Amino acid sequence: MILELLANAISTGVLLGCIYAALALGLAVSFGLLHIPNIAHPVFVVTGAFAATVFNAMGFDPLLVSLPLALVFYGAGIAFFEFYSRIYEKRGESDTMQALTLFFGVSLVIETVLVMQFGADQRSTDVDYVGQSLTLGPVVMPYRLLIPALVAPVMVTALWLYLKYTYAGIAIRAVAHDERALSVSGIDPGWIKRHAFGIAAATAAISGAALVIVGPIDPFAGRMQIGRAFAVVILAGMGSIPGTLAAGILIGVTEALVGAFGSPSWAPAVAFTMLLATLAFKPSGLFGAAR
Amino acid sequence: MNRLVIEGLHAGYGAVTVLRDVSIEVREGEFVALLGTNGNGKSTLLNTVLGLVKPTAGRVALEWDGRSVDLTGLAPHAIVREGIAIVPEGRRLVPTLSVTENLLLAGSSPRGRPAIDDNLAYCFDTFPMLKERRAQLAGTMSGGQQQLLAIARALMCAPTVLVIDEPSVGLAPIVVGQVFEAIAHLQETARLTILMAEQSFFQAVDVASRAYVMSHGRIIRTLDRADGAIDHAEIRRAMMGVAAA
Ligand SMILES: Nc1ncnc2c1ncn2[C@@H]1O[C@H](COP(=O)(O)OP(=O)(O)OP(=O)(O)O)[C@@H](O)[C@H]1O
Ligand SMILES: [Mg+2]
Repeated sequence: MILELLANAISTGVLLGCIYAALALGLAVSFGLLHIPNIAHPVFVVTGAFAATVFNAMGFDPLLVSLPLALVFYGAGIAFFEFYSRIYEKRGESDTMQALTLFFGVSLVIETVLVMQFGADQRSTDVDYVGQSLTLGPVVMPYRLLIPALVAPVMVTALWLYLKYTYAGIAIRAVAHDERALSVSGIDPGWIKRHAFGIAAATAAISGAALVIVGPIDPFAGRMQIGRAFAVVILAGMGSIPGTLAAGILIGVTEALVGAFGSPSWAPAVAFTMLLATLAFKPSGLFGAAR
Repeated sequence: MNRLVIEGLHAGYGAVTVLRDVSIEVREGEFVALLGTNGNGKSTLLNTVLGLVKPTAGRVALEWDGRSVDLTGLAPHAIVREGIAIVPEGRRLVPTLSVTENLLLAGSSPRGRPAIDDNLAYCFDTFPMLKERRAQLAGTMSGGQQQLLAIARALMCAPTVLVIDEPSVGLAPIVVGQVFEAIAHLQETARLTILMAEQSFFQAVDVASRAYVMSHGRIIRTLDRADGAIDHAEIRRAMMGVAAA
């Protein structure tokens, strides 16, 4: 009985953790690699979720339709980054407080637009597999968690390979370190940052579709995820893409265990406690290179 | 005549003017040394050529194969793509990338891209040390090794003119000798056109075909090997005399 509870808590934790990783992946790029504190990222994800519901209502599969949507988000991310860098970075030293204020404002604007467009009610998707489960011995995995959870390892692997093996990926890993090193290499650092921010935004379209399969969401659903997303990125180690998956799962499993054997009301504090512990004891995170 | 030409250049930092009316040229196949003691504006001049410092007056142009490209005011990466590569002061490698990744980063810019594999093979042939250490992070290499990596990285940009800023800084004398040998070897074998700033002028002058002496942001002397051997004592007087004044 207790073993069954444990096994199910762990499996649910792993699945939730994968979804946390998917939510945080764009932040691992914008904050982890570019050092831009994009607290609006979870709201980007919620926007992706609402976009998925719109197309799902027309009969499209939310995850499949999120792929072309990712291209749209990529373009929007580039345009948004251009706006951000015009305002802040070109004034001289980029100021973190000013950037946070901007991203906070952007979150509020996007939330308002979502409320005006869709109302404050919850929205959900309609897919065949919701309600069904995969049963492996004592472990029961609902498809509404399992399918979106699989998105995370796929996205993490694709992004990791891209950053590791492509020329643009090498440049993205270098740009936060020293823009002049890129300039003297004949690479435009401004383009690389726009491109990377576009990729971060594109992940939000896919993660948003995954999120809304898990359960219904409202325009303010991003707020709950901000702390957890930053916890995942910092626990992973700034800029570590595979670390994002490990950190997400670690947080997810811990939350599930605390929920199952402690009290579910403690679960929201788990991510933040782990964030503070990481900052106190291992600021470079699980996989972070000492910078 | 193929050449990099700098005419009437003025540049500085904010209200501080450093370069005053600097005019120099570097012809195809030449090895030109820019000599001067600390703080006389050598790096400022090279960085202005690369667009890293914006000039307030004057022009920088690359006249090559019947084409004249005005580089004044272009962004640094655009200037590199026109064929001017730099080994900058402080090297500016990416310490968290491996040797190969640092090279590929530069090699992947549009100019180097078509021949990136050949260029990488050439760098590894020329500097076997880099090949042995290709997976090592650049930040963990010694100063001399990093200097050679910075030179190789500039070669990955497939340069028409190679600009080198004080390759001897921070290196032990024996390592300086090795770095200069590598540069001289490159210049001979690849017929590279080189503009190099240096203050340890003995080694620099031995490899250079021409030298400009810089003081307080001006060119105060031009020495040409074609006019006879470049006289060490004379350069020393030119550099030290004005520096002391
Ligand atoms: N970023 C900067 N901001 C303000 N002043 C600067 C800056 N860089 C250089 N200077 C000033 O410009 C002058 C020329 O400096 P520069 O670096 O060009 O000299 P240098 O000849 O390269 O010297 P060194 O041999 O020490 O490298 C110096 O007086 C220096 O203080
Ligand atoms: Mg200098």
